[in-house]
Amino acid sequence: MRFFLELALSGLAVGAVYGLVAMGFAVIYKATGLVNFAQGELTMIIAYIAWTIQTNLTGNVAVVTVGALGAALLLGLAIERVVMRPMLGEPVFATVMVTIALAVILRSSINFIWDAYPHGLDLGVGRSVVRAGAVGIRTGQIAVVATLLAMLAGFTLFFRYSRFGIAMRAVAADDRTALLMGVSTGRVHAAAWAASAVISGIAGIFFAVSYDLSPTMFQLGLKSFPATILGGLDAVIGSGLGGVIIGVAENLAGGYLGSGTKEVAGFVLIIVILMVRPFGLFGQRDIERV
Amino acid sequence: MRNTLAAAALACAAGTMSFGALAAEQGVTDTEILLGSVIPLTGPPALLGVAHTTGVKVAIAEANNAGGVKGRKLRLVMDDDGYVSARTLQSTRKLIDVDKVFAIPGHSGSGQVVAAMPVLEKSGIPTIASVGPVKAIYDPPRPNVFAVGSSYEDGIRALVRYLGDRNPGKTWGIITQDDDYGVAVRDGFDTVQKEKKLNVVLSATYKRGQQDFSSEMARLKESGAEVFLAGGIISENIAMVKEMEKLSIKPVTGIFWPGRVEAILKLMGPASDGLYAVDYVEPFGSPAGQAFMEKAKPLVSEAEFKGINRYTMAGYAGARVLIEAIKRCGRELTWACTNAEMARTKDLETGVMAPIGFGPNSRFTDSRLQIMQADFATLSYKPVQ
Repeated sequence: MRFFLELALSGLAVGAVYGLVAMGFAVIYKATGLVNFAQGELTMIIAYIAWTIQTNLTGNVAVVTVGALGAALLLGLAIERVVMRPMLGEPVFATVMVTIALAVILRSSINFIWDAYPHGLDLGVGRSVVRAGAVGIRTGQIAVVATLLAMLAGFTLFFRYSRFGIAMRAVAADDRTALLMGVSTGRVHAAAWAASAVISGIAGIFFAVSYDLSPTMFQLGLKSFPATILGGLDAVIGSGLGGVIIGVAENLAGGYLGSGTKEVAGFVLIIVILMVRPFGLFGQRDIERV
Repeated sequence: MRNTLAAAALACAAGTMSFGALAAEQGVTDTEILLGSVIPLTGPPALLGVAHTTGVKVAIAEANNAGGVKGRKLRLVMDDDGYVSARTLQSTRKLIDVDKVFAIPGHSGSGQVVAAMPVLEKSGIPTIASVGPVKAIYDPPRPNVFAVGSSYEDGIRALVRYLGDRNPGKTWGIITQDDDYGVAVRDGFDTVQKEKKLNVVLSATYKRGQQDFSSEMARLKESGAEVFLAGGIISENIAMVKEMEKLSIKPVTGIFWPGRVEAILKLMGPASDGLYAVDYVEPFGSPAGQAFMEKAKPLVSEAEFKGINRYTMAGYAGARVLIEAIKRCGRELTWACTNAEMARTKDLETGVMAPIGFGPNSRFTDSRLQIMQADFATLSYKPVQ
C-alpha cells in the first residue's frame, strides 16, 4: 500500500504540472484554433525569469511569483502581437511552423541569456518534505496539486459566468459570427496568449521549485501535449485533468511494470481513449484534429 | 611483431601525410599559430563544452604569457557543434578548410569525434579528443588523433569494484540511461557484477532527458538496495538523489565522472554528502585541484572561471599535450612533426591528472583513475584512499 501511495502521490504532483501546461495548450487552441508548439519553452523561460529575480533581486516568494507571472503576461501579449497576429488568415500549417520556430528561438535563448547549468529555484518554501506515515511528499508538490484544482475551478466559473469567458467560447465556436456579434477576436486572442503564458509560468515555477531548472525543461511541453490530446484539445478543464491522468498512469506503470513502460504508458492510454472518444475525454465532437 | 608492423605502418602514414602538409603549414605565420576547437557551446551539453574550452584557453594563455611558442603566439577559434554529429562534421571541415587552423586541441564528444574521424584522418591534422574517449577513437590508432582520459568501462569497473569491496554481501541497485552512454555504464557494471557475484535487486533504465524519477526511486526503496549506482549525467543524478531524500533512503551511492560537477552538489543538497565518484582528473578538493584553480584565475574571465568544472581540467591536459609537442617542433612546424612529437609524449606532468604518455602504437593515455567522495560542507570532492 505504501508503494502504491508513493507512486500515486508523486504521479499526482507531476501530473498537476503536466495539467497546467496542458491547460496552456488548450486555452490557445480554444481561442485561436492553433496548437502552440512553444508551450514547453514558454514554461521554461518563465521559470528562468523567476530564477533571475530570485538570484538578483529577492528570494521573497510573493515578489518572485508576481514578477515572473507579470513577465509571462507581457511575453504572452508580445508573442501574440508581434509574431502571431501577422499570421492571421495564413494557412494553419504556416502558423504552426511559426510556433515551432518560436520554440527553437526560446530554447536557444537559455544559453544566450543564462547558461547550461542546472539551477535550483530557492524561494524558501516548497522543498520541505511532509510525511504521512511512511509516505513523504514535498510541500511544493502539494501546492501544485492545490493550484491545479483552484485553476480548474476558476476556469470553470470563468467560462460559464464571465462575459469574457463566454466571448472566448463564442470565438472558439465560430469566430466570424462572434465578430459580427461585436466580440473583438483580437482581444480574445491576446487574452488567450497572455493567460496561456501565465498558466505555463505557474507550472514552470512549481516544477523548478520541486525539481530543478535546466535547459531540458522545455520537454515538459512534450510530456504535456498528450495530456491535452487526452483531455480534449479544446477542453481547458479536460486538459488539466488529462495531465493528472497521464502523470499518475506513467508513475504506476513505471513502478509496477518496470523500465520503459513509464514513457509509453501515457501514449497507450491516449490510443485506447481516442479509439473510443476521438475528440478526447472532454473535447467537443466537431473539433478539427491536428 | 604485430606491434612493430603497426608502428611501421603508422610511421609510413605520418610520413606520407607530411608531403601534403609540407606545401604550406596552414594556420602558422611568423607570429601566430591558429588553433581550432569543435565543441558544444549551446544547449545542455554546453555545460561540458564551455568548461572544456576554458581549459584549452588556460593552457593557451599560460603558453602565451611565457612568450608563446618559439616566438609565435597561440590563438584559438571555436566552432559550436551543439553536440550534434552532423554539425561536428561541418565544423571540422570548416576549421580545416576555411579557418585553416593548424591543430585541434579540443574536439567534441565521443560520438561526434567518431563521426568526424574520416575527415580528421584524411586531413592528418593534429587532433586531441579529451571530452569522451571511447575505443573507436583510439583503436585502431590513427597517426593524428590522440585521446586523453580513461574509458567509460574502466571507470565504472573501478568504481563498482571499490564499492563492492567496501560493502561485501550488500544488495545493489543500478539505474542507467537508455543510450550508448548507459550501455557503456552497464557493460562496466555487468563485468564486475559477474566477477564479484554482486546481488543486484534492482536494474532499471530511463529515457534520456527524463526529469521525474519518482517511480524509479520508489522501486529502489521497495527493492531494499543498499548500494546504488546512479547512472545519470547531471540533472538526472540531482533528481535521483533528491528523490532518495524525499523517500528517506540513503544507500551507498556512486556516480560517474560525466556528472561529477561540483556545482551540482549544492542542488542535490545535504543528501549529496558522501556520494562516491570516480574520475581520472583531480578533484578540486585536492591540493592539485586547488593549484589548478589558482593557476586558472588570472588567465580567464570571471564568467569562465565561475564555469570551471572537471571538463576544464580535461581540456587543459589535452591542450598541454599539443602545445608541448608544438614546442618541441620549434620554428619548423609541420603536422607530421607535431603528430610524431605527440606520439613521443611520455610522462608529461599537467598537474590535473596522472602523467600523460602515448607511444608509437598507442593513441590513448588510459589515465590512472581515482575514487573520490563528495563533501557537502565544502561543496567539493575529496580523494579517498
